[in-house]
Amino acid sequence: MSTNGTGPTIVLDGEKVAFTPGETVYEAATRHGKDIPTLCYDPRLEPFGGCRLCVVEVEGARAPVASCTARCQAGMEVRTRSARVEVHRRTLMEMLASENREVDVDELTSLASQEMTELVDRYEARTGRFQGRKSGASRPDDPNPFIMRDYDNCISCYRCVRVCAEQEGDYAISVKGRGFDTQITVEFDGHLKESACTFCGQCVHTCPTGALGDLKALAHREVPGDTKKTRTVCPYCGVGCSVDLLTRGNQLIGVHPAMDGPANLGALCVKGQFAFDFVQHPDRLAHPLVRGEDGELHEAGWDEALDRAAEGFLRVRERYGRHAVYGVASGRAPHEAAYTMQKFIRGGFGTNHIDNCSRA
Amino acid sequence: MTDQGATHDRSARRMTDQEILARWNEEPGPLLPVLHAFHARDGYLSEDAIRAVSQGLRIPLADLYGTITFYHHFARVPGGLDCPRVCTGPVCVQEGALGLLRELAPEGATGMPCSGRCDDPVPVLRGHLTLAGRSAAELVARPAPLPPPALDGAAECVFRTIREPGHATLPGYRRDGGYEGLACAVREMTPTQVIEAIDRSGLAGRGGAGFPTGRKWRAVAEADGTPKSIVCNADEGEPGCFKDRALMDYDPHAVIEGMIASGYATGAHRGFIYLRYEYPETEDILAEAIREAEDAGILGPSVMGSGFAFDLHIRRGAGAYICGEETSLLNSMEGKHPFPRNRPPFPVTHGFEDLPTVVNNVETLASVPHILALGAEWYAGLGMNGHAGTKVISLSGDILRPGNYEVPMGFPLERLLYDWAGGPSEGRTIQAVTMAGLSGGFLAGDDLFVTLDEPAIRARKSFLGAGGIMVFDDSRDMVEVAHAAMEFFAHESCGKCFPCRIGTQRLTERLAGEAGPDAVVAWVDEVADIGYTMKETSACGLGTAAPLITESLMRYFPEAVSRHVTARGALPMAGRGSGGPHGTEP
Repeated sequence: MSTNGTGPTIVLDGEKVAFTPGETVYEAATRHGKDIPTLCYDPRLEPFGGCRLCVVEVEGARAPVASCTARCQAGMEVRTRSARVEVHRRTLMEMLASENREVDVDELTSLASQEMTELVDRYEARTGRFQGRKSGASRPDDPNPFIMRDYDNCISCYRCVRVCAEQEGDYAISVKGRGFDTQITVEFDGHLKESACTFCGQCVHTCPTGALGDLKALAHREVPGDTKKTRTVCPYCGVGCSVDLLTRGNQLIGVHPAMDGPANLGALCVKGQFAFDFVQHPDRLAHPLVRGEDGELHEAGWDEALDRAAEGFLRVRERYGRHAVYGVASGRAPHEAAYTMQKFIRGGFGTNHIDNCSRA
Repeated sequence: MTDQGATHDRSARRMTDQEILARWNEEPGPLLPVLHAFHARDGYLSEDAIRAVSQGLRIPLADLYGTITFYHHFARVPGGLDCPRVCTGPVCVQEGALGLLRELAPEGATGMPCSGRCDDPVPVLRGHLTLAGRSAAELVARPAPLPPPALDGAAECVFRTIREPGHATLPGYRRDGGYEGLACAVREMTPTQVIEAIDRSGLAGRGGAGFPTGRKWRAVAEADGTPKSIVCNADEGEPGCFKDRALMDYDPHAVIEGMIASGYATGAHRGFIYLRYEYPETEDILAEAIREAEDAGILGPSVMGSGFAFDLHIRRGAGAYICGEETSLLNSMEGKHPFPRNRPPFPVTHGFEDLPTVVNNVETLASVPHILALGAEWYAGLGMNGHAGTKVISLSGDILRPGNYEVPMGFPLERLLYDWAGGPSEGRTIQAVTMAGLSGGFLAGDDLFVTLDEPAIRARKSFLGAGGIMVFDDSRDMVEVAHAAMEFFAHESCGKCFPCRIGTQRLTERLAGEAGPDAVVAWVDEVADIGYTMKETSACGLGTAAPLITESLMRYFPEAVSRHVTARGALPMAGRGSGGPHGTEP
């Protein structure tokens, strides 16, 4: 591992590595290829220090320290995978497995939903030790169509609470009670719809256990086939949030925010996150329609429909001039269609009267 | 500007929402006093009140709601404040608390964790009044006990003058030499000289952590950022600890004098006493003492004519043990969810409102006037075997004369138990004692012949901490005692870090016989593994200390543990439900 020779260094598992002042041990270690387990960490949020899985041994410290909150100090000697910390990690994972109803979670539940399951497997923590009362009470009574609130699977990492406050600025989610009776809630224990929630889905996709789930995606869990992810940009507005469309076969089954999307860093709004039903909606037009002499719309072939449309456009342009045409592209259309539309209006008519309904 | 006046002041009953909010809005740390004002006015915190506070103080509603539910004593149903709350701490349970709770059940009584009156059980809070008695008929409002007289002519520091009549008033305090040390400090000493005097005295934090007080003050004096603050940690939540209550009730001016001296030494012009909810009478006493000091020019724009300004505010907690942890306390004062903060940075640089802050325990601050008046060398010389100063021990449980005893550091525990406090009752022997309230676990057997100082007690895998010692004689079931202790920790675990949140619960269930292996070896294995991970990975002292209970139980009482584990399944553990006597909902 290279160091720049002049900057401060720490000794990471016996190897001298450089760090940037202010960097946490977890960040430096991850940057240098260490795979330190954690469940409360989300790189977008302030370090929290709740799960304690990321504890590492630091030479001279009495007890292991949480690497997510400890800052690197020059000369620090850090052991990320010593027997001692691995013992604690396994115990912690066994304790977590003991408080939840289940540890196998459908991957459609959310982007981060496999984190807990993966660590349970990695530490072979399904031992059945530490049995006792389960924590968290689910809210199957919440009628909202987007977010599943299955707190039986909650481990109180508060990523949902923190992402809502720190990333989204909604402060809709909070922590009720304390200790083992801690419960994720909203104001006065109500439903999300009556709360400050904007259904952006941020909480869902940072949840590492599947306690919060994407109901729209989960509704498609019976669709056969492998899930394919396609990176694209959300067309709903001008921000340009990156999303991964989930498809099985020819069917769109869900949307995941892209954590590496330069405009959104994993953030989305309710529309970008959940409003994709129209794509495969049965009411959607599947054939061109042309209005007949009887005043009703009738199914037609593409040639007939396009000729009819062209005829209308030309008539308008002849009578009122090229600036009489104004094109508005739909935010529900793909970007390629929006681009073509713009070409059509600018190049075809010779007017700049082109807009998009997403120009928020 | 003064904001004294107990938060349960009855004049608040006539105030409108807007008046309450306007009254506190410009004050530092307004949330707790505002909530207490609404709570007192309405007898509970209604949804409308919470909405008004959310709007008035610009705190997101969900956040505020969650924070309110964190505290044990904010009632959420009409009339909740007036329902009796009965102490179900370890000593009170042995003194009839559960019977009292049943007696008062028709009035909507609920339990509350140890409320710091183990020398005069059983305390019951009714509204803002503390009653005490072992049955409903006996309940009476009376002042909490004075410390018993010192024996053997032992030299004392904080209790030196506390038993003088009228000492809690300003004239009484001055008659006994009070404020002379401060006068000397602000008129004749530089702040650096004050810090050096505290350094030389060897005074160290008496709340449990034992951090050298002079070093803490110097760190704040040298830290950048203003305004700086002095916070008196009076959130005496440790079960079996009631020394700070006695100090504040009978010597409030010593606490005030110590805080002003600390402010002078560090350049802080504001102070806060964070007082635990369960001491309403103490709040009145402190408020009155502050008023006296303000009227006499001891507090305010020019302390004793020195030109040094210092203002003092009281902030009342609302029932959360974790708020005795200094960073939780600071979050609580700031109106945030009272989770402990990650450290570093420490409060000396990033304390109240992220500015340099001294957080000192009541006893630490109350020692300062005596050190200033009688000299650092005098204080240092009070201890035994090279240890500096004294320590107040709150002694309770199965002992003839419970109470607060100020012992020289390094004093033999045996002499305190038998010579000073009279030993156990006739025909009984002492089976075990707790250390640091509950946080130090148990000492028993030969380890009862320990001296009362940190090195000696730490060598026995425990610690002196805040100095609460509860005594259990040979009639007590130590597994049941351990269960009640762990149930307390589970009840008070804040829920931030995994090892403590889950660990305290799992240990409670195992001590209750509700869950866990039936085989002794497997049971001990699980309990030891949970304890080891809690001790090494918990985020604050609650989680690292709680397993000392099970560790010491298994060390001293392995046969009792074996009997407990093998009996599981054979005997239903009636009344040992982990829901426990601390039920939060009224």
